[in-house]
Order: sequence, then C-alpha cells, then structure tokens
Amino acid sequence: VNAVVFDIALTAYIVAAAAALASLVWRRDGLSRLARELTVAGWLCHTAAIVLRGVELGRVPVLTLAEAVSLVIWMAVFLDLWVERRYGVTTFNAFVLPVVLALGLGLPTGLRDLALEPRASSGWILVHVGLVLVGLAALVLNFGSAIMYLLQERQIKARRPGSFYYRMPSLERLDRLTQATLTAAFPFLTVGLALGFARAGRGWGRDLLTDPLAFFSLVMWLVYAATLSGRVIGHWRGRRAAYFSIAGFCVLLVTLGAGVLFQGRHGS
Amino acid sequence: VIERLFVAGLSHRTAPIAVREQLVVDEDKLREILGDLTGRGTCAEVMIVSTCNRVEVYGVAEVPGEARGAAFRQLGAHRGIGLPTLEPLLYSKDGAEAVQHAFRVASSLDSMVLGEPQILGQVKDAFALAQSCRTVGPVLHSLMSQAFAVAKRVRSDTEVGRHAVSVSFAAVELARRIFDALDGRSVLLVGAGEMGELAARHFQDHGTLPVYVANRTASRAQELARDLAGTAVPFEDLFSVMAQVDIVITSTAAPEPIVTSADVAGALHARRGRPLFIIDIAVPRNVEPAVNDLDNVFVYDVDALRSVVDANLRERRREAQRAESLVEREVAKFADRLRSLEVVPTIVSLREKLEEIRKAELARTLTRLPAADEATRQALEALSQGIVNKILHAPTVKLRDSSKAGHGLRWIEVISELFGLGGKDRSGPSA
Repeated sequence: VNAVVFDIALTAYIVAAAAALASLVWRRDGLSRLARELTVAGWLCHTAAIVLRGVELGRVPVLTLAEAVSLVIWMAVFLDLWVERRYGVTTFNAFVLPVVLALGLGLPTGLRDLALEPRASSGWILVHVGLVLVGLAALVLNFGSAIMYLLQERQIKARRPGSFYYRMPSLERLDRLTQATLTAAFPFLTVGLALGFARAGRGWGRDLLTDPLAFFSLVMWLVYAATLSGRVIGHWRGRRAAYFSIAGFCVLLVTLGAGVLFQGRHGS
Repeated sequence: VIERLFVAGLSHRTAPIAVREQLVVDEDKLREILGDLTGRGTCAEVMIVSTCNRVEVYGVAEVPGEARGAAFRQLGAHRGIGLPTLEPLLYSKDGAEAVQHAFRVASSLDSMVLGEPQILGQVKDAFALAQSCRTVGPVLHSLMSQAFAVAKRVRSDTEVGRHAVSVSFAAVELARRIFDALDGRSVLLVGAGEMGELAARHFQDHGTLPVYVANRTASRAQELARDLAGTAVPFEDLFSVMAQVDIVITSTAAPEPIVTSADVAGALHARRGRPLFIIDIAVPRNVEPAVNDLDNVFVYDVDALRSVVDANLRERRREAQRAESLVEREVAKFADRLRSLEVVPTIVSLREKLEEIRKAELARTLTRLPAADEATRQALEALSQGIVNKILHAPTVKLRDSSKAGHGLRWIEVISELFGLGGKDRSGPSA
C-alpha cells in the first residue's frame, strides 16, 4: 500500500513541478496556486506513505538508501513550503521540486532497497542518519536558491529581462535565503557526520577511509565548510557563494551515487 | 435600450494634439454642455470624458448622430473650431460596441501608454460630474459601474499595468530587483545635472535616503545637496563614498569615463560583498562598460534602461491580449443584461393589460350571478387566471428569447401592436 501512496505523492510532485515552472514562464497566478496546492497534497500523501511503511516494517523507515532519500525529499518539500510562506518566495518550488524529483526518480529501481546498515538499527544510528538527512534536506533548498540567484543575476547583468525575470524575488533576498539554508544545514550535517565518524572510527578502523559513502561525505562537508567560512569570514556574497553552494551539491550527488554504486562498510 | 447607447469622440488615435488641445474645456463649460444636451432632449442621458488624450461623449439618445453633432458643435465652439473640422476625426460606436469601448477606455487598454492608471480616475471624475449635473440615468449608471468593475479586474487579474514603462521608474524597479527594499538605502549622485537630480528625487520618493552629491564644482554640489536634503561630498572622495552607498547615479558631462573598473574594484573591498547598483544616465557614458563585469556590481546605462522599458512594454502588450478577452466576455454579459431589461416593461404592461381585462370580465360575470357561492367564485377566479397565464406564456418567452438573440426591439413592436399596448412603455427603464 505504501508504494501506491508514494507513487501518488510522486505524481503530485511531478505535476506540481510542471505547474510551478509553467507559472514562472507564463506568469499565471492560477498555475502557481495549483502548484502550491498539489505540493501540499503530495506532501500529505508522502507523509502517509512514510508512516504506512514504518508500520508495515515495524521499524523507523530510514535504514535503506531509498528510505533515506524519500525522507530527504519529504523534509525538503516541507521546508520549501515553509520558506515560501515565511520569506514570500513564491517561485521557490519551481526550483526545489525538480531537484527533489531528480533525486527521487534518479534512484535505480533495482537498488532501491539497498540497505545502508541492515544489521544495526541502534539509537545512535537513527540519530546519525536523522541529523544528516535534515542537513541534506536544507542543502537541497540551498542548491535551489543558489540556482535561482544565478539565473536572476545573469538576467540583470545581461540587461535583458528573460522569461524568468518577472516572477523572481530580489537578488538580496535570494542571497539571504542561500545563506540561511546553508547556515541551517551545516550544524546538522556536522554533528550527524561527526557522530558517524566517531562511532565508525572505533569499529571500522582503516575501512573508514575506503568506504565511499564516508569518504565523499567528508569531501562534501569540506566544500560546505569552505563555503560557509567564505561567507562568514571572507564576506562572500552573490555569484561566488552561489557557485560554491552548487559545487557542494554536486559532491552531495556524487556521495549519494557512491552510496548506491559501491558497497563499502555502509552497505555490508 | 442598448441600441440607443452610444459613444462619440476623438482620441490620440484619431486626432493630433493640435486639435485635442483646442477641445479642452473647463468644468463649468462641461456642466453647461451636459445640461444643454439633456435639456433640449437630444440625449436622455449623457456624460463627457475630457482628458488631454481623449474627448468622448457617452450617452443614450434616440438619434445618436444628432447628439454627437450637438455635443461637438458646443465643445468646438469654445475655441472656434467648426463641426466640419472635427467631423472627420470623430469615431462613433453604439450598442455593444459602445459598451466595449467604455470598458476598454476605463481599463486603460485604449491609452497612449498602455495600462497607465490615470484614465480610470479621469473617467470616474467625468461620471461624477455628470451625476452632479443629473444627466446620468440608469443606463449610464450601470454601464459605468460595470466599466469600473471591469477595470479593477483587468488591473488585478492581468499585468497590463505592472512593470515600469518610463526610464526613471524602470531604474527604481531594477533597484528593487537587486535590493529587497529601498527604505534606508543610500544614493550617491555624481554630477549636478538636471537628469541626475530627477533620478535621485525618484529614488527619494520610493524610500531611499540619504543622498550624497559629488560634483567637480563644489558650490553646485552644495546647492543641489541642499535641494535634495542631502550631503555634499568632495569630488576626490568619490570612491570612498562609493564604498558606502548602495545606488550610484552618474550624470556628468565628462567626455571620458570617470568611473573605471579598477576604481570600483578598489571600492568593492570595503563593501564586503554588498551589491552596488550604478545608473549611468550620462551621454557619453561616465562609467566604463567593464565595470558591469565585476561581481555584485550592476551597471545600467541609458540604452540598458530603455531596453528594460521595451521589454516591459512587450510584457504589457502580451497581458493586454488577455485583458481584451476578459473585456469581451464582460461586454457580452453586460449586453445580455441590458437587453433582458429592455423587454421587461413590455412584459409588465402586457401582463397588466390582460389582468385588467380579466378583472373587468370577471366582475361583470359575477354581477350576473348573484347567487354564486364562494366555491363558484373561486373556481371562476382560478379559471380566468389560468387562461390569462396560458396566453401570456408564449409572448413572454418569445420576448425574452428574442432579447437574448439581440432583436428584442422588433418583437416589442410586434407584441405591443398585437395587444394594443400603446407606445408609452416601449422605451425601457431609461425613459
């Protein structure tokens, strides 16, 4: 049952993403309203699917990669809805939903049930996974707002309003949103990863560095740490900060890909 | 009713400014003309919209052509322009076309600057003036209140009035796309020319304060700073001030760029990544084009601003197409309503006529039947009512249907003739 409900949620997200993009290009308020309503409906279905799966399996559904990605999507969509309300960035879902869908649909179906850590489901693993997932969800938003910033910056620099121009928020607001999402994500990511490394450092020994998921997570953390310190200490703003956020997200995707393709200690 | 509704006039589309300016008359004169048109019975209802871009007479008249001639003869007489001069410049529309025209004008779809907001207020003023002269009747009243409602919908449902179409407002709008709000932003004005001053004032109107003025001639800078309630700064400090402010407006007469990429890059260090918006309204340009390549710096020269305005105009035109179809739907609805109104008096008088006959005949019959008991009386009452209703049914339906189809007047004539209703009620609610 949860698979069917999940598919309904996914379908709602797909249509919502299409409507959000269309409303951006053709600037119809009706379309953006439709997009928002579908997003909310999709998110509610998604919530139901997660709960159902948890009940069916009799455990918290965060232990396989598919479950983890599903949870990241769930949180990212929730944060997107919240940010749209809080910051009045009504076009945000046009950039967040496609990313979320790419994540959801990008998982090869055969690998969907790949276990991250099938044996142990102790408390600390849940905390480790949970914190990292919250961080990842905020980073999805960080990527979305960085893309929006660059698109709008390019249009203003080129002095030619394109089709996205009219419905975008101001550059300053986008830059603030990029900064806020990164600032929010970073502590979760840091503590979550640190927990993982601290715990694995004792048990895994040298395997820690050869585990692809662990290795790329570290690289990802470094890129985001550099971006955040650049913003705080070097006063990076605008284009450079946005490029770094995008680079960080690319490493994030590689990390997820590595988790799917290579079986390190995480997968065994 | 709708057939006798008309609009006649001239606008920027048909008449040159040289003619339009001759037709501008003051309010008292307008009152006089309005009173005259209704007083002589040329128009049942009338109002005149008179702006610098259009002079139009809206009214209800048996012979619209006559009303149009009378109105413009008087409007022209003021400055001695004869009707023959005006006649070829005039357009006239009646019925549903007049309704459409009224809706389009009020919605600013017929304006010189598409979507400009003033016209709605001007039409409202004209309506209020006619109301105060008591030349507005039910037809103009419903036409105009609907026109105002349509204009409001066009403004809220389409973007025909959004996005700046003047260069100075385009600059303010751009600033809003870079900075979130303009409140508390500071402006540096370089050069003391009139254009720069205007642009700075525009920013002040939208919340940016304070203003700094730098000029090669320090006294002129001080003078202008006083006018703008700003601060004069020495010209040599240009780039240290540039490091502080958010918006820079340059308008000096310098033959070579005075703001180079290296200068701005130096100022950027102290800005800590805050965006800088430079508006260069000088020709030749004061700002080197390469400055725009710097991160977080946005330079707009006159051409760039104009191209934004062009894009905004295209945007308005695109939205105008949506507005036109909205107007069309509203016109159809309004015409239907007006037409269904025009048959109402005929239906009412037909019903009254038959009811009169029924009552008279019933009374006559009852006097001949003094012995009739209550049950018989009631039966006769019901019988006569039933017959009248059956007879009324077909003509009533026919009238309503024909009014919807747009030829109600013909059937009003036919039915009035057949039932001997007389002409008094045929003119509808406006009479």
